[in-house]
Amino acid sequence: MKIDWSLFPQEIVPNLKSHRIMKSVRQQPKIYTDTSDFTSITYGDIIHVDDRFFIILGHTREGRFGIDSQIKTWVPKVQDLMTNERFIIKLVFHETYELSIGQLKVTCFRSPEKEARVLELVSDNPYFMHGNSVLDEVGNLVRILDIVDGRRLDNHIAKLGANHEEYVAEHLKDMLVHFLTSVAGIRLLHDNGLKHGDIRRDHIFVEREGGTFRWIDFDYDFYIPERPYAMDLFGLGNILLFILGKQNFRPGDVVTHPDMGEKVLKTIDTNDLSLLAQDKIFNLQKLFPYIPDSLNNILLHFSTGSQVFYNSVAEFQDELQRAVDTLP
Amino acid sequence: MAVREKLLIAVDETETSMHALRYVAQVTVGMKEMSICLLHIYPEPPPDYYMKGGTLSDYKEKQNAKAERVFSQGKTILTDAGISKERISTDNRFTEDKTISEELLAVRSEGGFGTVVVGKRGVSRTEEFLFGSISNTLAQHSENFTTWIVGSDED
Repeated sequence: MKIDWSLFPQEIVPNLKSHRIMKSVRQQPKIYTDTSDFTSITYGDIIHVDDRFFIILGHTREGRFGIDSQIKTWVPKVQDLMTNERFIIKLVFHETYELSIGQLKVTCFRSPEKEARVLELVSDNPYFMHGNSVLDEVGNLVRILDIVDGRRLDNHIAKLGANHEEYVAEHLKDMLVHFLTSVAGIRLLHDNGLKHGDIRRDHIFVEREGGTFRWIDFDYDFYIPERPYAMDLFGLGNILLFILGKQNFRPGDVVTHPDMGEKVLKTIDTNDLSLLAQDKIFNLQKLFPYIPDSLNNILLHFSTGSQVFYNSVAEFQDELQRAVDTLP
Repeated sequence: MAVREKLLIAVDETETSMHALRYVAQVTVGMKEMSICLLHIYPEPPPDYYMKGGTLSDYKEKQNAKAERVFSQGKTILTDAGISKERISTDNRFTEDKTISEELLAVRSEGGFGTVVVGKRGVSRTEEFLFGSISNTLAQHSENFTTWIVGSDED
């Protein structure tokens, strides 16, 4: 592919010419100052915002559980052509859809503005990914995000302990202490009228150095006027369930588990299942009797049988802190 | 200070709400000191409302028209039961950065209402967790006022 270098500003041409990507581009790279049509911005193209030039190295993927990952064309991986620093850029993608939770539906949408407000609020907070937001030529809110050097929480936990009992004895308290910093982070958002919006176990990254838990991906929001933070709260309950169980358990998992099987499954009833989706087992003590009451009781707040809900993350955080404090 | 005879009724277009109004009409008709305020509160529009080209002024216009219809129905129920229209007032609020429950509690406090009335819809525990329950929130906050939670008559 013969590239016409005269189409680029002189200041980036030397770095561009020597960039490895230029050897494999199949079409003349373009410079985009308007990112509205993000699907046309591809490998080797350059996004010019904030007086910086970012070359596209590839795209991130949506890591939904159990579903083949999909390329997120609005979230390219980039490199600053002047400093060589790597970032993830998020372009404006207004998506609205109905999220089904059991029989119920919640309106979800992407809000670049909300993510920008969160980034500003947590710019000095070590428990969140960092980045800044700039406007492209036509006013699209482009978020330039630092890359968190770590791995997803669920992948991290999967490697801890040879089995559940060993994991609980040797690693659980450490995981919960870190998780409490994540919970405090969400409380900070709520105290400032903001939501995370997509609290899932793969939206906490565990840093390679030091093991700090850091939240990523804040652009989802949802419309629940009377309980604006309910989804975040339930997301925290789901992550706590994963941390305590080392994995999630649905009835089918109990049947196939070598230490459980039908005998344990017979002890599970509807009240033990998730309040919202009635799929996952929240009464973990029935699977692992050595889980302390104080932690299991927190999980039960998110179960179908619960008569009492947490009304705020503060309530959840306080109870979890007390439970962790009593662990050996 | 909250005045017990000042009644605040949260209303919307649902049958639950109209049922609460009929209940109030029946039990307060003889109470000559009682004043009744019909309160309609509406939240911010859903995000896709703007994405589909809607404007805030259009939204407010529609919500205000809805409130007027609800007030008209409510007044008819109360006056038909013998409550004089001079004892009935209305208040229509748009709530930003607050939940409907929070706005309701704020109006109650501002107006010194000693009694608050809401209808109770039958919701599952899941719905209650996710979407909230105004009647439960009111019950939790009824320290210096009284809440009437009007349920259905059906067994």
